[in-house]
Amino acid sequence: MTLDGVRTVARQEFMQRIRKGRWRWLLAAWFVILVAITALVRLALREAGQEVAPYRGSVMYGGLMILVLSLSLLVVPALAAQSVNGDRERGVLATLQVTRLSAVEIALGKFAAAWGTTMVFLLLTAPLVLWCVAEGGVDLASIAVVTLVMAILLATVCAVALALSALLARSTTSSVLSYLSVFVLTLGTLIGFGLATAMTQESVTRSFRHPVYYDEAHPPPPPSESSRELPPTPLRFEEGTYIETRSRTDRVWWLLAPNPFVVLADAAPYRPRCYTPEGWTAYQPLQPGDVPPRHQCDDSGIDPLGAIGRSVRELRKAPVSDSGDGRIAEYADREQGRGAPVWPTGLAINLALGAGALVLATRRLRTPAHTLPRGQRVA
Amino acid sequence: MTTTDSLAAAPAPTPPVTGGIDARGVRRRFGSVEAVRGMDLAAHPGRVTALVGPNGAGKTTLLLILATLLVPDDGSVRIAGYDPVTQPEEVRQRMGWSPDVFGLYEGLTSREYLEFFAAAYRLPAGDRATRARELLALARLEEYADQPVHVLSRGQKQRLGLMRALVHRPEVLLLDEPAAGLDPRSRVELRELLRGLAADGAAVLVSSHVLSDLEELADDVVFVDHGHTVGHHSVSNLPRAVALRQWRLRSLDDALLIAALTRLGIAHSPPGPAGVDVQVGLDTEAAGLLAALVRDDVPVVSFQPVGGALEQTFLELTEERS
Repeated sequence: MTLDGVRTVARQEFMQRIRKGRWRWLLAAWFVILVAITALVRLALREAGQEVAPYRGSVMYGGLMILVLSLSLLVVPALAAQSVNGDRERGVLATLQVTRLSAVEIALGKFAAAWGTTMVFLLLTAPLVLWCVAEGGVDLASIAVVTLVMAILLATVCAVALALSALLARSTTSSVLSYLSVFVLTLGTLIGFGLATAMTQESVTRSFRHPVYYDEAHPPPPPSESSRELPPTPLRFEEGTYIETRSRTDRVWWLLAPNPFVVLADAAPYRPRCYTPEGWTAYQPLQPGDVPPRHQCDDSGIDPLGAIGRSVRELRKAPVSDSGDGRIAEYADREQGRGAPVWPTGLAINLALGAGALVLATRRLRTPAHTLPRGQRVA
Repeated sequence: MTTTDSLAAAPAPTPPVTGGIDARGVRRRFGSVEAVRGMDLAAHPGRVTALVGPNGAGKTTLLLILATLLVPDDGSVRIAGYDPVTQPEEVRQRMGWSPDVFGLYEGLTSREYLEFFAAAYRLPAGDRATRARELLALARLEEYADQPVHVLSRGQKQRLGLMRALVHRPEVLLLDEPAAGLDPRSRVELRELLRGLAADGAAVLVSSHVLSDLEELADDVVFVDHGHTVGHHSVSNLPRAVALRQWRLRSLDDALLIAALTRLGIAHSPPGPAGVDVQVGLDTEAAGLLAALVRDDVPVVSFQPVGGALEQTFLELTEERS
């Protein structure tokens, strides 16, 4: 395999794509949709109040990235799902296979072309990202990480679509299956997680302590008395139990991990901030005894990426073994932090999927061939 | 027919080939269909070899095996001395292949198309443009060099496809139906081009149905049918069965013609609108027949061979089996 060979295939493929379709219109439509949605988000935030203002940009940016990922997942299968069997149908694949280009070079070249085209779409979002930065509150580190992770996630989808187009004889079948695999990655993981969560339900018997103020020896004062206040100290504490049904999402969180939205959101660096009377401050871990200013922190979930990231980390956490005191449980929860990150697992699954797909595509492109897919001619 | 029997028997043993193409006992099955079931083929450097057979005889499958695209189930193949299964890279450096049906990249110009393949064949970057220009000139496509390939006519596309197979100056050339879609002038040019390549030492294998073209083009001919090699001959030395050619006679008076033929003891077909067909051996016999007919005052308006020698052989070989 040589880089020159990969470049030869990729350049040819890329040039052909650009000249063939109505690219200018597609790219223009893409840009207009993104501008419109970003503008709408900005308008909506005008009403969101004072607290949001300092990090308005990050809210817009999060929303924009989720939108870009959604639309890209719609576009990518169309870019890659016909690259091998479409060539076969047009009768241009075999003439390429008898050249000195190896199967790896052909597979990687086609992959690079599809991915490169996707990156053109991503590049078009740059002006909008600048707008978000101008609104304030966007981390440059966050932009770098989100862009990189998005590129990797879209590469995975490109590779899967390419493999399907190499494995299946008909380009319509591979297109449908590519969209289906995007569906499985996005909604499928969600549905799978939901169903699996239902199966993890378990009942636990919880004990709790409750104060006892009156008993037979100390009857409550007659109702006619005006004072309804409880005695200052309880007589004693009694143990009680109750049965709690809970889902052990910490056992099935990994089903959500490969979801591209989860990976993207959770990988985005997150820096919670809190609004104090002195203004915006960096988030400080709570100390025992602090009253959490929860409603005042942007932990409340207005930044879409942060909100998704926090929820999945929450799901990964084992249930807190609380002792019945709600407040203590909450402290314990806060002290435990955000929970372990989910994105490394998800990104690893995606990378493995993409690499496996490229290997499969290469094997199918290797000639001389022993077997052919049903109903397929070599040339 | 004893003559055909001897033709259909095992092909004449061929000496081992060092360059060119040497395929022996090649078999290939697709599911339940055995497309190639024991083909032998030798194509020597410096010669044009024709691969002739009816549709479905296994010609294209054999060419795919020779072109390093398919693994044969059985048999041994050498292209320019290398095994296409275990040494495809060596074979591809030395072999050019053009399939019967192929596409061109929409959106590329003819020049870009050839330059792309020059790169794919790893020609040095500096030579690609020069080579593309040479080939465009050879294909008489210079004026279309910067036009997108989809504006080319069928014949022009066919010529461009042939140039693609020549990009890396192969020493073995495999062409599946190269004359399809070519106008008469292009056919003559194709013939001259291939003869020229053979003269320069290339082994050229051409499959075709247009037998009259092959007759003037090929040095050797390999007949295949039902996945077998049924004959392997030099065109200058086609067997006697082939020399027995069919001639077509037209006369102003069919009755007189039939009477004369019967008197001369020559088998003939019943008279039809196209005329009367007769089987005559060598050209001298044909001349003798014409002279006799004229002597007998038969008003002959035309006297011409039907089809070529290859076509006759082809029909005889395949008739027996169908």
